[in-house]
Amino acid sequence: MISRKLQFIVAALVLAILAMGFYLVHLKRKAELIGAGPAPEVLTAPVSGPAQELTLYLANDSDDSLRPVTISSALPSDPGERGRLALHTLITRYLQKDSTHPLGAGADVHDVYLLDPASAVVNLNAAFAETHRSGIEIEQLTIFSMVLTLKAQLPQITRVRFLVEGKTRDTLAGHVDLSGWLDVGMVAEASK
Amino acid sequence: MPKDYSISVRVTILLLFLLAAAFAAEPRKITVYAPQASYQVDILVRDGVDYAGLTDLLEPLGRLESRPEGKKLVLIFNGGAAEFQDGKRQYRTRSNARPELLSNFLLVDGRGYVPVSSIAQLLPHITDQTAEFHAGPRRLFVGSTQYKYSAELRHGPSRLVLSFPAPVNPSTLIERDHVRLLFRREPVVSSGADTVAYNDPFLRSTNFAETPGGAEFVANLSQPATVSIGDGGRTVTITATVPPAVAPQSAAPSAVESQPHPAAPRVRPFVILDAAHGGSETGAVFSPTLMEKTVNLALARRLQKELESRGVSVVLTRVADNVLTWDQRAVSANTSHAVLYIAIHSSSSGHGVRVYTSMIPSPQPGQTNRSFLPWELAQSPFLQQSGVAASALAAECTASGLPVRSSSVPLRPLNSVTIAAVAIEIAPLGSSADELNTPQYQQKVAAALASGIAALRGKLEGGQ
Repeated sequence: MISRKLQFIVAALVLAILAMGFYLVHLKRKAELIGAGPAPEVLTAPVSGPAQELTLYLANDSDDSLRPVTISSALPSDPGERGRLALHTLITRYLQKDSTHPLGAGADVHDVYLLDPASAVVNLNAAFAETHRSGIEIEQLTIFSMVLTLKAQLPQITRVRFLVEGKTRDTLAGHVDLSGWLDVGMVAEASK
Repeated sequence: MPKDYSISVRVTILLLFLLAAAFAAEPRKITVYAPQASYQVDILVRDGVDYAGLTDLLEPLGRLESRPEGKKLVLIFNGGAAEFQDGKRQYRTRSNARPELLSNFLLVDGRGYVPVSSIAQLLPHITDQTAEFHAGPRRLFVGSTQYKYSAELRHGPSRLVLSFPAPVNPSTLIERDHVRLLFRREPVVSSGADTVAYNDPFLRSTNFAETPGGAEFVANLSQPATVSIGDGGRTVTITATVPPAVAPQSAAPSAVESQPHPAAPRVRPFVILDAAHGGSETGAVFSPTLMEKTVNLALARRLQKELESRGVSVVLTRVADNVLTWDQRAVSANTSHAVLYIAIHSSSSGHGVRVYTSMIPSPQPGQTNRSFLPWELAQSPFLQQSGVAASALAAECTASGLPVRSSSVPLRPLNSVTIAAVAIEIAPLGSSADELNTPQYQQKVAAALASGIAALRGKLEGGQ
């Protein structure tokens, strides 16, 4: 014979489980609604001033090459913001329909930080890594083109580290190692 | 009431324990010992029945083609066809026989699974090789691969000599009162009684047991001992380090009192091939039915055959569709005694062959391959040799008419390999990734790489 007290405890536990289940479903629906909405736009400070040279190292999948292309653009004076804008411009090129090195939809760079004048940290968004095609050469071209483009804007940097949503990631898409610092000189040498 | 509580608490603890055990349990595997290779195959449990993947089982044993046709799976192994039907026990063999499995055949996502309990009965029908399955330790022996050992107690000094029909390399654990030998790679099996009592002042008893994925031999001793391996790995000798206090009683002195054999030179592989990715880690997905891990393994096998036909000894890090971590791959390379490590990748982008070396700093002045280095920079003293290897491979590919690009890249596990190490990535010559999996293209690439590797024999071995 099960005691009344035990019956009460079991009933309370079942009620608690049901309540938690309903709350979980509610949270899931809420998250789906948020996810289904329009992607938040990246807010950037308006850049004004005279146009300056911006060199982009554009990757080409057909011949595994990196080619420098110089354009004119108004660039901010803050080194981090300047680096971010350079990479954002590069990624925008890769997202165009006729891109020679296509990236996945939604790929972008959140921030570029300078820990010290020589060390840059690039914080990519999740879409950048999650939608990136897998392969040594494909991933190498992406990373090297970003490092060289950054170096062109911030000549003082000697090493670069990539994060995804603020966290260290083992590889970009299963191949190129993103877990440590990349030596800019070695990247330039390997790109020749 | 206390009794009710007690039951509830016990049931809860039991459920929690079972839950924890389920999470903690390692995936179970079958260890396969075959003349071609030793490898492991994951076990899949369906409706309480243990299943093994047919492709995982058969791929290392020969040329395999697997073709799902609706609910049917047609399997062509070394030219002979067999047919299986999803949900049916009966299957058709290459000789048109219709034997039955002990449980239903499974076809999941185009891959065929057979009940583990039927493997020993199934394999001879498909491979024409005998098979013996030890269900407890989950060890499968294909062909005449079993190593039966003999044990002989000798004196002057007291020692136990274990003799094997082929070289072994057990992990050894020596403690005060026992020596434990673990055979992880070798198909060592019992040669008679598993437990033998000696009643000797040095050796009390020995015990042999097969374990999941290996075998274990324990010698229970009365005094400390050392272990030595001789005769090219064919004998393991457990020798007393202190002379026994009492003269031998029951064991008669051996008629043959031989000196320890000088260790015969062991054949070491020249190259270790590492088919990148595997198991759940698929690498690039070229199409719904073609993944990078599959292309990499097929190319590694083809390259192995090409190298062996040129007299170059080869080992592979993986011969089946299983997951290996980067560190496991580096450790395999570093302990293989090979001279050259080649990681094999494939890509649908670009054309031809890419050859990569590790992108880490060159060695500091005075740094040698015996310097103490961080794990992620262990390749540093070997960069020059890696460069030599990369140049030779690239030159041979160019000579074979394949487009080649050489570069350095931050790629694991190259950084942690302590021999000459390169990675290659093959891409199709045309625009279709399907070309990567064609025998013609793979053969062309394998032949070029094999020639490049063979040409390195004099160059790299001298540098070691």
